[in-house]
Amino acid sequence: MAIILLILPVFIQDPYIMNIVILSLLFAVLACSWNVICGYTGIFTLSHQAFFGIGAYVSALSSMRLGLSPWLGLLIGGASACLTGFVIGLPCLRLRLGPYIAITTLAFSEIARIVCMNLVGLTRGEMGLWGIPGFTDISPWGGHVISFSGGDRTAYYYVILVIFFASLGLIGWMLRSFIGLAFRAVRDEQDAALSLGIDTTWFKLLAFITSSFFAGVAGSFYAHYILILTPTSVFSIELMIEVIAVTLIGGLGTFWGPVIGAFSLTVLLEYLREFGEYRFMIYGAMLVATIMFMPSGLSSKLFPEKE
Amino acid sequence: MNLKLIAEQMLNGIVLGSMYALVASGLTLIWGTMKMLNFAHGELYMMGGYVLYFSLILLGLHPFWGILIAMIIAFVFGLLMEKMILRPLLDKPGWHVSPIVATLGISIFLQNFALKAWGERFKSVPYFIEGTMDLFGFRVAYQRVLILVVAAIVMVGFWLYVKRSRFGIALRATAQDRDAATLLGINSHRVYLLTFGISSALAALAATMLAPIFLVNPWMGIPPQLKAFIVVVLGGLGSFGGAILGGFLLGCIESLATVFLSSEWKDVAAFAVLIAFLIFKPSGFFGTKEW
Repeated sequence: MAIILLILPVFIQDPYIMNIVILSLLFAVLACSWNVICGYTGIFTLSHQAFFGIGAYVSALSSMRLGLSPWLGLLIGGASACLTGFVIGLPCLRLRLGPYIAITTLAFSEIARIVCMNLVGLTRGEMGLWGIPGFTDISPWGGHVISFSGGDRTAYYYVILVIFFASLGLIGWMLRSFIGLAFRAVRDEQDAALSLGIDTTWFKLLAFITSSFFAGVAGSFYAHYILILTPTSVFSIELMIEVIAVTLIGGLGTFWGPVIGAFSLTVLLEYLREFGEYRFMIYGAMLVATIMFMPSGLSSKLFPEKE
Repeated sequence: MNLKLIAEQMLNGIVLGSMYALVASGLTLIWGTMKMLNFAHGELYMMGGYVLYFSLILLGLHPFWGILIAMIIAFVFGLLMEKMILRPLLDKPGWHVSPIVATLGISIFLQNFALKAWGERFKSVPYFIEGTMDLFGFRVAYQRVLILVVAAIVMVGFWLYVKRSRFGIALRATAQDRDAATLLGINSHRVYLLTFGISSALAALAATMLAPIFLVNPWMGIPPQLKAFIVVVLGGLGSFGGAILGGFLLGCIESLATVFLSSEWKDVAAFAVLIAFLIFKPSGFFGTKEW
């Protein structure tokens, strides 16, 4: 499958389809990051849109106001989201019940959204932050310049592809290691984990930090790809619900689930454009249907577990 | 920053707070009995608003009937929701997450249904009582006084009902220990069903009372729902009295924030208080030890 992704642009030149694939990959990264904290560590959070949004805005503003390169913005966006993840994670550490964590993380996200909306001098609020510089041209092989301007999406595609592979690679490595085991211990039986000497507090924080980092990187890419941001487009609950839907439908707690979900849903949503205003009604209904009839998601249907 | 302005805002805050308490009490009721968060609560509120609108504007009914019909329809809707979607999920694993996802899905569905069916234009509903009166030296609109009166009657009545009636006892028993209650002959499914219905009716009532002030639109349920979340945490998840106290507290916090900061930042203040409570006193005022 990796090979298919690598050579895809050779066959597809249509910018519309390219856009769909790029967005799918972006959502895959975002969903994978949420999967780390919800699927693997068992902490159902509603704050990923905040990480995404902060990554986006910080990266955008640092390149617009501070003149930093968007490439650096990816890291800065990720780092600032990471810091936010730490701050949001702290109060959540002592909370055991799902609803409390959900409300706390939602509260933080709403604060982030309203702050972004109100600090008009900094972010231009609801009027929108446009004129974000796209990725600057790079010339890795001396003389051959990879340009990001113009209508050709190919360059962007490869950037998100690299981000996709890197993120999944890092997350996958982390989940296969002892860290992943600890996460799952926290999810399945926290008290047992504690009794075995696993510092659940530390690992919960780690889950917050890592998942928020990747969400921030995703947000930063989004900023330099779409080139315009508004608080509602990146900080809203709708975005969070999309992440939940993608991860759930693909398979919560599985590695490839979010990826499958991201591609399926992005394509489906585009296809549903034909239905116009019924789009989101179908979306909501699908969410309900999935949790009722197929809670383990698509990936369990496509790759039946050996157990 | 004069005292009169603050007092006026506080009065406003208390009126709004009583409605927050109403919406939150439904939410805390569901949490107390079923141990779940209803993320579609705001949309049940929204439906109450729309039913009122249609009753008053299209059917030309008196507000009293409009409110009653809105409550009944919301009640039925709550019953349907519980029966069709939540009951199947009840005994399956993952109950701490599945109702949140399910109700989120329902919420999106209903919001966009309203958008598609009734359009995005905000619809206005006339005040039930026109005019203002003098209350301790302040000019207060009759509508707002009505809100407070209705809230007081409903909350006291409901509290008595839960304390004294057979259903109320059954409710509290099921909330404490579902299995023990079932052993004693209480049909827990019926309790859940009615709890959901009552909770929805309460939300719809709040919506009808506030509709003349805040206008009817597909997204009208989102702010009340968020505020209800804050209130139930402040008051303690599962505590009816806590929801009432928390509702008034939130109303006051909001009005003070409006005076001292600005209306744009009042929600941030409210959320900040929520987070502070979660850090220092997660069980809220009257909540249980579980958090």
